[in-house]
Amino acid sequence: MNDLALAAFAAETGGHVVDEPKELRFARFRRTFDGESFRASLEARNLRFVGRSEPGYPRLLRELHDPPPGLFLRGSADVELLSEPAVAIVGARMCSSYGGQVARMLGRELAAAGLVIVSGLARGVDGEAHRGALEGGGATVAVLGCGIERDYPAAHAQLARGICASGLVVSEYAPGVEPAPWRFPARNRIIAGLCPAAIIVEARERSGALITADFALEAGREVFAVPGEITSTLSTGTNALLRLGATPLTSAADVLELFGLEPTGSERLDLGTDAAAVLDALAREPAAADELGRATGLDAAALATALAELELAGAVAEADGLFRGVRRPE
Amino acid sequence: MLARTITHALVGLDARRVDVEAHLQNAVPAFAIVGLADRACQEAKERVRSGITSAALDWPVRRITVNLAPAELRKEGSGFDLPIALAILAASRQVPPERLARHAAVGELGLDGRLRPVGGVLAAAEGARRGGLEKLLCSAECAAEAELAGIEAVPVRHLAEAVAYLRGERDPPPVDAPSNGDRPEVVCPDLADVRGQERARRALELAAAGSHNLLLAGPPGIGKTMLARRLPGILPRLPPDEALEVTRIHSVAGMLAPGRPLVTIPPFRAPHHTASVAAIVGGGPGPKPGEASLAHHGVLFLDELAEFARNALEALRQPLEDGAISIARVGGRIVFPARFQLVATMNLCPCGARGDPAAECSCSAARLAAYRDKLSRALLDRFDLLVTVPRPRARDLERAAGETSDAVRGRVEAAHARARAGPLHRSKEASELLSRAVERLPLSGRGRARVARVARTAALLAGADEVGAEHVAEALSFRSPTELGLR
Repeated sequence: MNDLALAAFAAETGGHVVDEPKELRFARFRRTFDGESFRASLEARNLRFVGRSEPGYPRLLRELHDPPPGLFLRGSADVELLSEPAVAIVGARMCSSYGGQVARMLGRELAAAGLVIVSGLARGVDGEAHRGALEGGGATVAVLGCGIERDYPAAHAQLARGICASGLVVSEYAPGVEPAPWRFPARNRIIAGLCPAAIIVEARERSGALITADFALEAGREVFAVPGEITSTLSTGTNALLRLGATPLTSAADVLELFGLEPTGSERLDLGTDAAAVLDALAREPAAADELGRATGLDAAALATALAELELAGAVAEADGLFRGVRRPE
Repeated sequence: MLARTITHALVGLDARRVDVEAHLQNAVPAFAIVGLADRACQEAKERVRSGITSAALDWPVRRITVNLAPAELRKEGSGFDLPIALAILAASRQVPPERLARHAAVGELGLDGRLRPVGGVLAAAEGARRGGLEKLLCSAECAAEAELAGIEAVPVRHLAEAVAYLRGERDPPPVDAPSNGDRPEVVCPDLADVRGQERARRALELAAAGSHNLLLAGPPGIGKTMLARRLPGILPRLPPDEALEVTRIHSVAGMLAPGRPLVTIPPFRAPHHTASVAAIVGGGPGPKPGEASLAHHGVLFLDELAEFARNALEALRQPLEDGAISIARVGGRIVFPARFQLVATMNLCPCGARGDPAAECSCSAARLAAYRDKLSRALLDRFDLLVTVPRPRARDLERAAGETSDAVRGRVEAAHARARAGPLHRSKEASELLSRAVERLPLSGRGRARVARVARTAALLAGADEVGAEHVAEALSFRSPTELGLR
């Protein structure tokens, strides 16, 4: 009950609370705080709370030097989901189409293999990782940097509903807490804290994703970075991590190996000859449809047919007119 | 002394019969026009007075009252000049009144008595024919247009000619054949000018063959507008009944090209993105057709779709659904036909750099969201074909010219002919693919219908017996997977 009082006190004062404050204000708050009715009001809104002292509180999170007093939960999954093998996928909000597609592919393949995908519901890489996990039929957890009842950013309200249907949205903040810039690094420590491994997909220098990587390293977790072009500002952060000794990520199998899991054998694609030729042409670099047409000698109608077949098979994705292979070359 | 001529006032695209009565009284000389005439109509007094004098005819020095009946109908424009002048001349017995009875008249007078063309002559001629009149007196420039209505036009160049004709002294020279004759066709820009861009060309061909609405997205300067402007050139020529409908609208708007009375090429209208709601759907006190109606049976092209005022775009949803625009006024409701094909272009982001490998986009997420939020889901759903066109590589621009518009039009016309021949069934494999796509891709019910429509067009173009899986697959590829990043 004390954990709940701490969380409620933090919301009341708009501050950040980890340990019991010594100040008089808290003692006064503690005396008048009615934990039962607070819990009842949470339940009325389909929210739950798991305190630091309760058995359901994730073990890995407790290992942090400043674990949150408790987590508020929203969604249909049990609290045990937070203790299952999980991997964090984070990265830039303004990511490239490549970054978005990689995040989605990793989310899909890792979730399909049985890992819980943890991320921050942000635009860009975070959102794509969640979407990929949902596509892969796995569970995913979104950690918020604001009050638990709020969908932030609002553009991801529908995604949050999708996550709640099979996974969890969690936050250390009680309902009513507004998002503030300083809360996001605190949120990142939870993302890192919940997982034995973190994947950074794309990050600029001084990006929030690097803060997550720092927390993961501090807690002794594995950090993977997706190598990027050395000329792009979107990969300066991830490439710097690699230079410092992060594990380069080349496929979902690299992560699964760490957990002792088998990849769910990416089923051999059964493609027509046209589609196979197009996929072959895409193996080297992404291309526009007209370039593919010239490379394969297909006319516009046949090419469009092949592209749709590949897209349905999940082997190719389009962004801004460029088609890109989104499977690891065999 | 009293005399009467017949003319027509326009209500929307409809001509209503108006009797112009002139009454001369022995009283202090004066000239008054009554019967809800607007300003241009009131100014007819000065033109008629000068016109009659310039034609070496007598201006009756009497008290002249001209009544435009029915009095409750609003009369607009300068087409009443000729009937007013003829009524006055008949009242003063300078032309025989009984000759006038079988004629309708329309036209504006110059101060020198010359007759000027006016808009809406086709509608007036149709009104005259329905009213059982045999002949229409109009300016020589409008005569060919009037004859399209199946009425005999009497082309007059000058008021004196009209008077000579009515007195039975001499007939005016006959008009040119109402067809466009041997005049060269209006030149549409040719598709052969477009190099590379095979995918966008294919989308254009599908759009032409199935009358699909098309949205071209991509960075600036890659030829989106150039492609869209070439759409009318690959559309089939208008069949006679549609040509007449289009001509009527363009005539009312006063937009017919001189010497080409019948519009045979599908119209192409490209309003600027600052256009108001009234400019696009039509309006005004006596409502006039807007760009959407002028594009009837043709193409309405909106360049830089996201720059248009949101309410102007939302106003297009009714015509896109019903093929007509109804404008309500206190005096009644006017319906303008507006069955057009919508073609639009847009950049992928407000700064324009997105999708261009040579530039870096500087738009913030919020700015990008605001740009795309301008287009409602409901409007985007009306586009059957979405194509993202990336910047072509330099070597594409050096390639040989593409197919000509005439060659593409041949295939499009064949597809239209096959579409008229009968319905096309979907094969089992095609239906299965469609169901799989609905599950796998975020495809709404309306999205599914769009894909099915485009697939049918692809099959028609290919001359297939049924809609096959390959046609459904092609249609799926023209629905951008993320619908331009809009979720």
